[in-house]
Amino acid sequence: MADLEARGIPTVGVATTEFIEGAAAGAKSLGIDPALVFIPHPVQDRTDDELKKLADDHLEPILALLVKGG
Amino acid sequence: MTVLLDPTSERSPTIRPRLPRPERLDGLTIGILDIAKSRGDVFLHRLGDRISERGITVKHYAKPTNTRPAPLPLRQQIASEVNLVIEGLSD
Amino acid sequence: MPQNLPHDGLIAIVKRDCPTCELTAPVLGELARRGGLTVYTQDDASFPETVPAPVDDTALDMSHRLQIEVVPTLIRFEGGREVARTYGWDRGEWERLTGIAALGQELPQARPGCGAKNVEPGVLERLKIRFNETGLKSRHIEIGEGEDEQEAMYERGWSDGLPLVPPSEERVLRMLDGTARDPQEVVGLVPPDIAPATVEKVAINAVMAGCKPEYLPVVLAAVEAVLDERFAMHGVLATTGFVGPVVVVNGPIRRRIGMNAKGNALGQGNRANGAIGRALQLVIRNVGGGRPREVDRATLGNPGKYTYCFAEDEEGSSWQPLSVERGVNPDVSAVTVFAGFGLQGVVDQKSRDPESLSRSFAESLKAMQNVKLAPSCDAMLVVSPEHHRTFKNAGWSKARLYEELYRLCEIRGDDLVVGAKGIAEGGPSSLAGKTINKFRPGGLFLVRAGGDAGMFSGIIGGWSAGGPRSSLPITKEVRT
Repeated sequence: MADLEARGIPTVGVATTEFIEGAAAGAKSLGIDPALVFIPHPVQDRTDDELKKLADDHLEPILALLVKGG
Repeated sequence: MTVLLDPTSERSPTIRPRLPRPERLDGLTIGILDIAKSRGDVFLHRLGDRISERGITVKHYAKPTNTRPAPLPLRQQIASEVNLVIEGLSD
Repeated sequence: MPQNLPHDGLIAIVKRDCPTCELTAPVLGELARRGGLTVYTQDDASFPETVPAPVDDTALDMSHRLQIEVVPTLIRFEGGREVARTYGWDRGEWERLTGIAALGQELPQARPGCGAKNVEPGVLERLKIRFNETGLKSRHIEIGEGEDEQEAMYERGWSDGLPLVPPSEERVLRMLDGTARDPQEVVGLVPPDIAPATVEKVAINAVMAGCKPEYLPVVLAAVEAVLDERFAMHGVLATTGFVGPVVVVNGPIRRRIGMNAKGNALGQGNRANGAIGRALQLVIRNVGGGRPREVDRATLGNPGKYTYCFAEDEEGSSWQPLSVERGVNPDVSAVTVFAGFGLQGVVDQKSRDPESLSRSFAESLKAMQNVKLAPSCDAMLVVSPEHHRTFKNAGWSKARLYEELYRLCEIRGDDLVVGAKGIAEGGPSSLAGKTINKFRPGGLFLVRAGGDAGMFSGIIGGWSAGGPRSSLPITKEVRT
């Protein structure tokens, strides 16, 4: 993510809630403030339909971080 | 560990501010990068479909493996083909 | 290592690598036998062998705490306080301080000491950092072991695109040695963020730019100058035009810090020229927050926005230096900042008289920005030594040349109106029948610089031609 932003491409990352601490630590050590959206853990054992619903439910927050004011 | 002194006015609480975002998504291309963790593809393709429905161009990319950073040619390709990126799915 | 100083007693600080300390070894041995002496050794804890248990001060903590400058130093404590100290070997002094007669009878009367290790170059800074005595207030940025320092600085947006010297605490402390000014003194408020530039912040950016400490006073003067309201730094930064601050240095400091006023003075290769100009740009970027494609809207900009700083060639000139022309005493060093861009070369290898050469200059000056625009903008004419000689030989003062150039830069209004010469750009029809000068009164600036061979002078174009939103050149004296 940091690399793409460094190349001038605004980026939003999607991660599960399991990743919240890891993301914070990584950001701190790199001195960045990444735009992140968290979806409920776990993901691995979800059905396709459940994953599609998660995508639908989180579409707006994700897009909001890609526009001004987000 | 090296300590450097901050040359800035120290106004920003974070050290590297995020890139400014565009006003609107119309006319832009969004790249969706799958970092190759399992089941992320289903989630990300659904996002791509929903975004395309809005008339926004979507391009899909995938890292060859989750265990290493995206290869340089892929990063360069993405940077030259899209305006914005959604990257996932980390867990 | 005992950290406590004696309530009553003697302390000696020595190092093996010091002939005078070696000389006093027997005396120290005698004082140790009598009791009440603690010896701290800066380099080798087994020295002196004459003393049973010298204390290891190789970390220099005690030396720093006691502010030792010379070894050997002998200090007397009474009632928990230092009451006397002496340094070097002087029998009379040592006897007085210890109250013991006939010390070191076999030694010469006196011998000077050596420099203490804790005040060697670089060591004092490291000690101040270790003991938190730097007086520096800037936020610490930690770069992890796995991170590359250069990439880390680029990622944080500190760079103008070129590599930076990492601003470690040591480097910044050393840079601050270049000025007597307090690091927390506010030099000015930097647009667009209107953020305070302290001497410390300027020093940090000066380190990054590659300055030596002796350049810092010049950088400080340049920062002060651009932050003068009349320079209109915000406008200079935010313009879609070409300009950036150009720094001209006058006075004795030019030679003291090795600036270039001669061959390739406006080009690369001189550390002082390059680093001073760059430090100014980094302060604007990092402290003020002014960056390209954000507040800085320049369409093209110009390469001088990396750095644009040179010294005037004053020696052998028949003209007043720019600073003197602007009211500064010739013995005083000063900087003048000018909102300028690029370099428009003027080639004239045939003119033998000042009239002809003036016309060469004037024709080039009239083409600035657009032949159809007048008054157009201020301009600095950098006259090379060979060209200057033409004026010198004819007895033309600066004032005489200014007068001639202004006269030659009068333009027929008919040639300036929109549509004239088949060019849409131009002035309103009300200019027809009038005569308009390319420059506002006081809008031309002459300096001499360049190598001794070459009949080439240069025009540094300005931004505005006076009026409430314009930028005026500002001159500030260099203070140490």
